[in-house]
Amino acid sequence: MLDRCGLTSHHAQEFPQQGSSMIVQPAPSPVANLGQWEEALNLIALHRDKGIYAELFKYFAPRLRAFGIKMFGNEQQAMEMVQDTMLNVWQKAALFDASRGCASTWIFTIARNVRFDMLRKKQSRKDDISADDLWSDGDYPEQEGSHSQQWDLYLIAEKIAPHFHALPPAQRLVMEKVYLDELSHQEVSEQLSIPLGTVKSRIRLALDRLREAIDGPRS
Amino acid sequence: MAHAVKFHPSLSLLEQYTEGTLAAEVALVVAAHLDFCPHCQMLRRDIEADIGCQLEHQPASSADGDEWQQMMAQIFDAASSNDTLPDQTPAQSFSAYIEQGQHRIEIPRSVQRLAAKRKKWLQLGGIATAKLPSDGDNHLSLLLIEPNTEVPLHTHKGLEITLVLAGEMVDEAGKYAAGDLIINTPDHTHTPKNVSDQPCLCLSVLTAPLEFKQGLIRLLNPLQRFFY
Repeated sequence: MLDRCGLTSHHAQEFPQQGSSMIVQPAPSPVANLGQWEEALNLIALHRDKGIYAELFKYFAPRLRAFGIKMFGNEQQAMEMVQDTMLNVWQKAALFDASRGCASTWIFTIARNVRFDMLRKKQSRKDDISADDLWSDGDYPEQEGSHSQQWDLYLIAEKIAPHFHALPPAQRLVMEKVYLDELSHQEVSEQLSIPLGTVKSRIRLALDRLREAIDGPRS
Repeated sequence: MAHAVKFHPSLSLLEQYTEGTLAAEVALVVAAHLDFCPHCQMLRRDIEADIGCQLEHQPASSADGDEWQQMMAQIFDAASSNDTLPDQTPAQSFSAYIEQGQHRIEIPRSVQRLAAKRKKWLQLGGIATAKLPSDGDNHLSLLLIEPNTEVPLHTHKGLEITLVLAGEMVDEAGKYAAGDLIINTPDHTHTPKNVSDQPCLCLSVLTAPLEFKQGLIRLLNPLQRFFY
């Protein structure tokens, strides 16, 4: 099943939501691209609309209760968790940001934090580790920013590193000078006293060998 | 270039952390790892989205009964009695640095509040440790290893979970730097060392007393209580 929640939400802003239960029209306003509950949270935040909140409550409260009973094994605590969570939803709706995740995800994170702090409080340990320590602002994880691209580079580097060491010494030396020391081909040629053409051909051979080590032999 | 975190929590550990079912002390170590690791942050968001979906698709009947009406009424009451948005009081901020001896070391966000509540540093040779508030079963502490210092050979009765917060250290299995998460089971015997010229600060959870294996140290065993 391809679900709205399966898409990361910044994608949801860019692409029509295929497979979503809603039909999305080309959007005149950003709100039109949102699912039912994301829109509901925005309206609750904007207008403090109790009618819309009541719909959201009717849908999520019993589902949270079922979740809570699984987690606590206890109906009374589950209901306490539901009430506290839904109070947070009413009060903090303005903090919901649909570009960072869907409504149900946000509601789950609130419930998780409420439950964690409830349990700590019952153990009289509320002054120790709290949900705020563990899950940043409690509602959203850290923005990942440009780190993701860097991460991809690390992954590539990690994938290549073992094969790099397996290169023939002459090719490896040229590669190190070019890619680690960031010398120009000309500089490498001068440093190693080898023709420029040889530097270039060693690089080509080494790159092809690395590609083959990662992708398998060229057919 | 930023350091690439190499040692990550397993996916199942990340799942339990994200669900909120992990022991608090262990969860804190995972949270601190996430402060360093964009990759695991991304996984955490994926897990949250997945659980959110399960919540949304959880079969349940609509909340129409009196009990639910009452709960909603109580919510509106509670909200109007403290009508301003919660969280408007600025969150208390805690030092982003640990100061110990001559060192001033930056620590990640998730440990800052707890680190401010640490007990006093206990110094032994080139190693210093300070306990953080934690449960009876799991012992949470900061561990500072001075440059060119070896932690005596030891095994653990339970799990030893260590996260490098700053600097680097090596043991028989590898080299670790900020963000790296190391889990040692009771089978592991290891000798962590800081062979660099910078101090190495770690966050550590022990689930049982340590047992030292080397002659004199074992006889005296001052470290046992020191670490635990």
